[in-house]
Amino acid sequence: MTGRAAAGGQRGAAAPALLAALASLAAAAPAHAGAEQNYILYCRGCHGADAEGVAGKIPPLAGALARFMRAPEGRNYVLRVPGAANSALTDAQLAGVLNWLAERYPAADAPQVAPFTVEEVTRIRHTPLADVLATRREVVRALAASGAAPAAQY
Amino acid sequence: MMRTLDRLFELSTRSLAQRTSRRSLLASLGQLLTGAALLPLLPIDRSSRANAAEAPPGPESPENCQYWKYCAIDGYLCSCCGGSSTSCPPGTSSSPITWIGTCHNPGDKRDYIVSYNDCCGKTSCGNCECNRNEREKPMYRPSRNNDLNWCMANADANYHCTVSVILGVAEK
Repeated sequence: MTGRAAAGGQRGAAAPALLAALASLAAAAPAHAGAEQNYILYCRGCHGADAEGVAGKIPPLAGALARFMRAPEGRNYVLRVPGAANSALTDAQLAGVLNWLAERYPAADAPQVAPFTVEEVTRIRHTPLADVLATRREVVRALAASGAAPAAQY
Repeated sequence: MMRTLDRLFELSTRSLAQRTSRRSLLASLGQLLTGAALLPLLPIDRSSRANAAEAPPGPESPENCQYWKYCAIDGYLCSCCGGSSTSCPPGTSSSPITWIGTCHNPGDKRDYIVSYNDCCGKTSCGNCECNRNEREKPMYRPSRNNDLNWCMANADANYHCTVSVILGVAEK
């Protein structure tokens, strides 16, 4: 497999003021540059051309990701699920792909979700989940109690 | 008139029967058959035709494992199994989950994103095995291991062969 890293949000050293300005810009809205290509190279193989998944086997991202992203426990789960956490994507690239997906395939019942920041990805992504399935069930149950939730059967 | 003709044929037949025997007829017939059977064994140069039939397809052919877009493939080429490099053979169906990589096309010097879809529903094709998996590092990145049966998400998980579908140009 020849994963090709697309342009991320991190650049070389520059004047501190400029760097700070760029950093705050990146934190506010991570660039989507290369996000679609990164989705194709690192996610599409299993999740499908339209992030639809495979019924009963591969969970869909279309609609479902935005539902996870509307609450802290869902955001925490999405960043630590093995496919995301262990991918070859940098933190900035992962944030870019997830934000692109949430924008491209929103949930009709959860349209306003805050995008991931690179800082958020860096802080949460690197703590592995001990039991992925148990955590998913717990998170989906909590989301269902407070509104729209992703499908429970995966 | 008829009587004369009858007489003429009778004489010629009797004359032939007196001059030849049934054994000599069988001997002649035998020689003819043996000669006809031995004709193909004569030392005629047929090597040009034999070479043409056995020559392997070149690297520009979709039936050759070295074809550029097969750089990350692992399986039997569907173009040798009754399908093509992009379509599954009759009686099989494409896997919904796939292995995706990039390959460099030396023709136009661009990198392309290629999806390797397994064709499922029949037993292994067995023709044109092609296992390149270039730059795969399964021990370092288990999620990047292509040595899987991608038919596992199909109703019939029997693996038959693999197609290579170009999804687009890879941007740097």
